[in-house]
Amino acid sequence: MRHAHTQPGTLYSKETSDFLPLFEFSNVVNSSLDLDFILSTVLRTLMGKMLVTRGMVFLKRNGKLFQIITAKGVDHSVIGQTLEIDRPLRSLHAVAKLPKDTAAWIEFLNYHQQSLIIPILSQRRIVGYITLGERLSKPSYSATDKRLIQSLVSLSGAAIEKALIIDQVKEANRNLDRKIQELNTLFDLSKEFNIGLDEKKVVRLVTFALLGQIGVKKYALCLRDHDGLNIIESRIEGSANLKSILPSLCDLEHSATTQDLLKQKTYRIAAAQLIQIGITAVVPMHIQHTTKGMILLGERLRGGMYTRADLEFLYSLGNLAIISIENAHLFKEALEKQRMEDELNIAREIQQGLLPEKLPSIPGFDIAALTIPSKEVGGDYYDIITRQNGDYILAIGDVSGKGTPAALLMANVQAALRALAPHCTSVSETTGQINDLTCANTRSGSKFITFFWGILDAQTHRFRFSNAGHNPPFLLRKDGTIEGLEEGGLILGVFKTTTPYAEASVTLLPGDVLVMYTDGVSEAMNQHNDQFTEEQLEVILKESTHLSAKEIIQRVQQALESHTQGTPQSDDITMLVLKAV
Amino acid sequence: MTDFKIHHRDGEGVSVIELKGYLDAHTAPDLETAFQKLLTEKKYNVVVNCRDLSYISSAGLGVFMAYVEDIRKNMGDIKLTNMSPKVYNVFDLLGFPILYEIYKDEQEAVSRFKQIKK
Repeated sequence: MRHAHTQPGTLYSKETSDFLPLFEFSNVVNSSLDLDFILSTVLRTLMGKMLVTRGMVFLKRNGKLFQIITAKGVDHSVIGQTLEIDRPLRSLHAVAKLPKDTAAWIEFLNYHQQSLIIPILSQRRIVGYITLGERLSKPSYSATDKRLIQSLVSLSGAAIEKALIIDQVKEANRNLDRKIQELNTLFDLSKEFNIGLDEKKVVRLVTFALLGQIGVKKYALCLRDHDGLNIIESRIEGSANLKSILPSLCDLEHSATTQDLLKQKTYRIAAAQLIQIGITAVVPMHIQHTTKGMILLGERLRGGMYTRADLEFLYSLGNLAIISIENAHLFKEALEKQRMEDELNIAREIQQGLLPEKLPSIPGFDIAALTIPSKEVGGDYYDIITRQNGDYILAIGDVSGKGTPAALLMANVQAALRALAPHCTSVSETTGQINDLTCANTRSGSKFITFFWGILDAQTHRFRFSNAGHNPPFLLRKDGTIEGLEEGGLILGVFKTTTPYAEASVTLLPGDVLVMYTDGVSEAMNQHNDQFTEEQLEVILKESTHLSAKEIIQRVQQALESHTQGTPQSDDITMLVLKAV
Repeated sequence: MTDFKIHHRDGEGVSVIELKGYLDAHTAPDLETAFQKLLTEKKYNVVVNCRDLSYISSAGLGVFMAYVEDIRKNMGDIKLTNMSPKVYNVFDLLGFPILYEIYKDEQEAVSRFKQIKK
């Protein structure tokens, strides 16, 4: 009993002498969060206590992979190397007693003369291993040595894992910072793009963001227009080849590295060509699943491959850019449309300005006019001018084409008529002069005018007229006969007057009705594209001669409305009715 | 709105650009203009003093990337100085310290250029 008591006593005192340094060691190791410091301290303490000259620390990286973090007394180039330790060791082992199979890691330990391997455990999980070489003083480790070693390592296990977690948190924080930075970049750009920029500026800013965020030297940006993808901006030598590669990338659904594409059958050839000119990543730009553009990037200057996260970011950036570019295009189109509408309004104003504000009252005559401009603004015109001698000039015309050019040419004809008519004697000669002036103002054949005009003698009621290719006005006699006023010649504005225009005259008797109109009336269409026709117009007019000028027009208008049934009017409608009373 | 100013002064063989305020997508074109001007004037030794730079975005950093090649091709460089920790953090996150020389103060960067000249 006594014997038994003394014997363990000596053992106790031996272990107590080791206890204090253990406590101190635990304090030092556990008060630090610096992984390198902790690992160095553990290894140094073990080597010092055991008088060992060689040692290494391995930390678990991934599955069975362990990385050498610290090494002392061995070739320093081993630091950073990874080793697959395929057998989990949950307790201290002598390397010599490990089964001598072909495992590379055992070979490695033997090569570097490591004789002990001790697991670093934290909450029963293996976080790493410490290996130690042979002791200098004694040939081998005693059982007490092994217990001490195990104690020291288990004391440091928790500290090592804590430091590892802190490192991971730091890394996670940095990744988070990077993500925030990426979001800031997207936010920064979208804020700027919202202002409504042109394509050029959007491309410039995207380029800057790419250079800044990803850090590339080689890049190209391509946009689709009607003939495929075009290179808008490029800092890649051999861009000429690039254009021929682009079509085969059109169906790419997501951003990818060229190395990844190389593994896909569809893209293998294109990827190989891209790699040849130094492109490492391809980012398609989509709008509703159609590829509208593409960003091509060279390697990153600060090294490292494109990660999945990088490619995601690039894809977002590309889509943001392409939407802004599309918006810029739409905005430009809207501006263009607005400009055209403004032009139409000007044309409408010019045209309206040409028409008489108020019809003069002609003694012995009842007169009325109608004009309904179409949406597109055609070139209809009518006019009534009072001459100083008491005669009246009546005119109607229709310019080919629409819009401002038509309105301007009509203004020209009006100016010619108004300049020449007040003093002219011959209707036919004046028509020739108007034609010559019009020819001078139109590029040959590009525009022409159908024109009918005449001078009404207020005393004799004789009407001298000339018809330059206009729909012959109807003269409806009181007795029911109808004449078409056709005498004249060619339309205005095509050929200089070589053959003089003809003229004729009619005398208007009480009850006679002269109806001048433009083809907007006779060619008014319904939804089946059927024209109203001159024949129908004639029928309506025949039934209406007893009515006043204004009522005749209303009657025709009603007939037109019941024919077209609300089909949009494609041409101006103009009528001028003169009735002798 | 965001405020950004560029002040440019020329020392002996070194051009100093002082940046002030927010350098983002909105103001990046201003910095681009400044660099274009330096290139046309053939001034390739550039120190960018970031003392009063309160924010820099990726688009802002991109301007440096877009011009540093041309400047280095002409035996010059862009050196950055006087960054606030916040601005430095962005440079660091995006790996710029590998690509650019960054100094604590302007004088240090300027004297670097002079050493090379000797």
